[in-house]
Amino acid sequence: MDNNKFVEVKNLRKVYDNGHEAIKNVSFSVKKGDLVCLLGPSGCGKTTILNMLAGLLNPTAGEILFDGKSMVKVAPKDRHIGYVFQNYALYPHMTVLQNVMFPLTVGKNKRSKAEAKKVAQKYMQLTQIMDLADQKPGNLSGGQQQRVAIARALVQEPKILLMDEPLSNLDARLRLKIREEIRSLVKSVGITTLFVTHDQEEALSIGDKIILFNDGIIQQDDLGQNFYLEPNNYFVANFIGNPVIDNFKVIKTDQELRSSQFTIPLALLDASRFKRNLPNGEYILSVRPENITPQKDGFLHVKVDDVELIGRERILKFTYDQVQARSLINLEESIQPGDEVTLQLKFNRIFIFTPGGERVY
Amino acid sequence: MKRIRFGVLISYLILFIFAIITVFPFVYMILGGLMSFQETTSIPPTLIPHHFEWNNYAKVFARAPFARYFFNTILTASVTTLVSLFNSLLGAFAMVNLRFKGKGLVQMILLSLLMVPGEAIIFTNYNTIAKMGLLNTYIGLVLPFLTSIFYMYYLQSYFGSISTTIYKAAMIDGASDWDYIWKILVPMSKSGLFTVGLLSFISGWNSFLWPLLVTNEDTMRLLNNGLSSFASDAGSETQLQLAAATLTVLPVLVLYFIFRKQIIKGVVRNDLKG
Repeated sequence: MDNNKFVEVKNLRKVYDNGHEAIKNVSFSVKKGDLVCLLGPSGCGKTTILNMLAGLLNPTAGEILFDGKSMVKVAPKDRHIGYVFQNYALYPHMTVLQNVMFPLTVGKNKRSKAEAKKVAQKYMQLTQIMDLADQKPGNLSGGQQQRVAIARALVQEPKILLMDEPLSNLDARLRLKIREEIRSLVKSVGITTLFVTHDQEEALSIGDKIILFNDGIIQQDDLGQNFYLEPNNYFVANFIGNPVIDNFKVIKTDQELRSSQFTIPLALLDASRFKRNLPNGEYILSVRPENITPQKDGFLHVKVDDVELIGRERILKFTYDQVQARSLINLEESIQPGDEVTLQLKFNRIFIFTPGGERVY
Repeated sequence: MKRIRFGVLISYLILFIFAIITVFPFVYMILGGLMSFQETTSIPPTLIPHHFEWNNYAKVFARAPFARYFFNTILTASVTTLVSLFNSLLGAFAMVNLRFKGKGLVQMILLSLLMVPGEAIIFTNYNTIAKMGLLNTYIGLVLPFLTSIFYMYYLQSYFGSISTTIYKAAMIDGASDWDYIWKILVPMSKSGLFTVGLLSFISGWNSFLWPLLVTNEDTMRLLNNGLSSFASDAGSETQLQLAAATLTVLPVLVLYFIFRKQIIKGVVRNDLKG
């Protein structure tokens, strides 16, 4: 078996009954034991993909392989998966222990009560919910319900764990804690995990790899840092990063990139980074706020609209070409709203996109 | 402060008046069942009997095969309740959780059938039952009531309020539809099922027109039809009628007292915070 393609999705497509094409043509693979994040804005189709992997939805076309075997016609219960739902989907009339035991009391995994209890307790210990065994889910906090849901998903000892925005119902501090717990838990169990989220920070911190979706297609399938350093296209560059990337409209001529207030000679750019020969015309120059910073001999002269504190840094906001842009500055810098500053770019860190979003530099 | 107290007083007064209006016929039925014939018909009416005529109850059982009526009624009401509950449960589950072709059409047909009043098809039903030779049989009494679109529809809205992810979770946990129904759906919908069961039992208990049509033998008669035996050609024996009516109402009343918590729960649902 090819462990690099433990989960493999080929040309997956989903059209809903109402004609909405949620997934257009998606192919990706997941390495055995990896934790992969499916990231994207709401409505991008990431949950649809998870549901198709689980067998809760039938794909319109395409192929899903687990460990080299086609799953398209296999019922959810025979796919060897665990699933953690956004709302946890615990059975409210059962105690925590009964909830965790449930998968071992029905279907082909059915075993004796004593044996089921033993296995359930093992996973309850792992998720630290032993002391809640006799509680009903209604009496538990969100974080506790979450752990019960994870224990119930793991108790069948599935090969693949699917998690649908499992942290979105928790408050911010708990979310940080639980996401670390989830990562160490799935790594200690060694289970291949697909984790759906709309939160880029969550995806970057938890995932071995991230697959970013939008409009029913994959925008980028890569290691976390590459979304920053080498975004595939305009969407990726704008989706990833906080504060968001600055975009400037420029016109390319034979010699330079020209904007309303600045020009950049092409000679300053790294010729090897151009993906292809660019015809003259309109482009978008994008730069992350940390790569456009105040400097005495800067080329861009702006008036500061506002300065926002975000912890150890400040965001300097200014308006350029009627669009708000940002620069990330040190906490110590004494720039105030209303001040005039000049900004400098790090030329080896800029990106250039066509108006259609294709990355060309 | 004063105004609030005045408002409370008014609302208690209104409650009191309506309580009297609601309870009075009931209390009079019980008291009347213990009066002599003269007392029940005297003007001005008697409220409290001078002497409790317990003996009226003995007369009721002597005059008509009341025990048999009881047995018949309990039997038919229980059978219709159990079978229609089972059928509505499966039907509602299918409409809520299963995906199948023509579901929308089936739903539409069922809903439009719900609009047809029972009385409109009662003679068609009578003809069918008569042709099947089922007059004066238990099967004839219960057959038309073994399914109920209304109960199914009620349960459907009840099941629909359970998050669909619960069903999906059960599927992934390896449960079959049958497991899901008995281990999750039924325990989670106890109060809804109970409400339907109770409604069904009461309407079976109170049924009048249908048993009147399909039975004409004493051995097959139900309680409500039995009451009419006390309105004979020789004139009504009002005190016996009231005593018999008390007997008829009693079981439903007992049911209510035993299950009033669940009945109230059926209206107010407790749900899991998400």
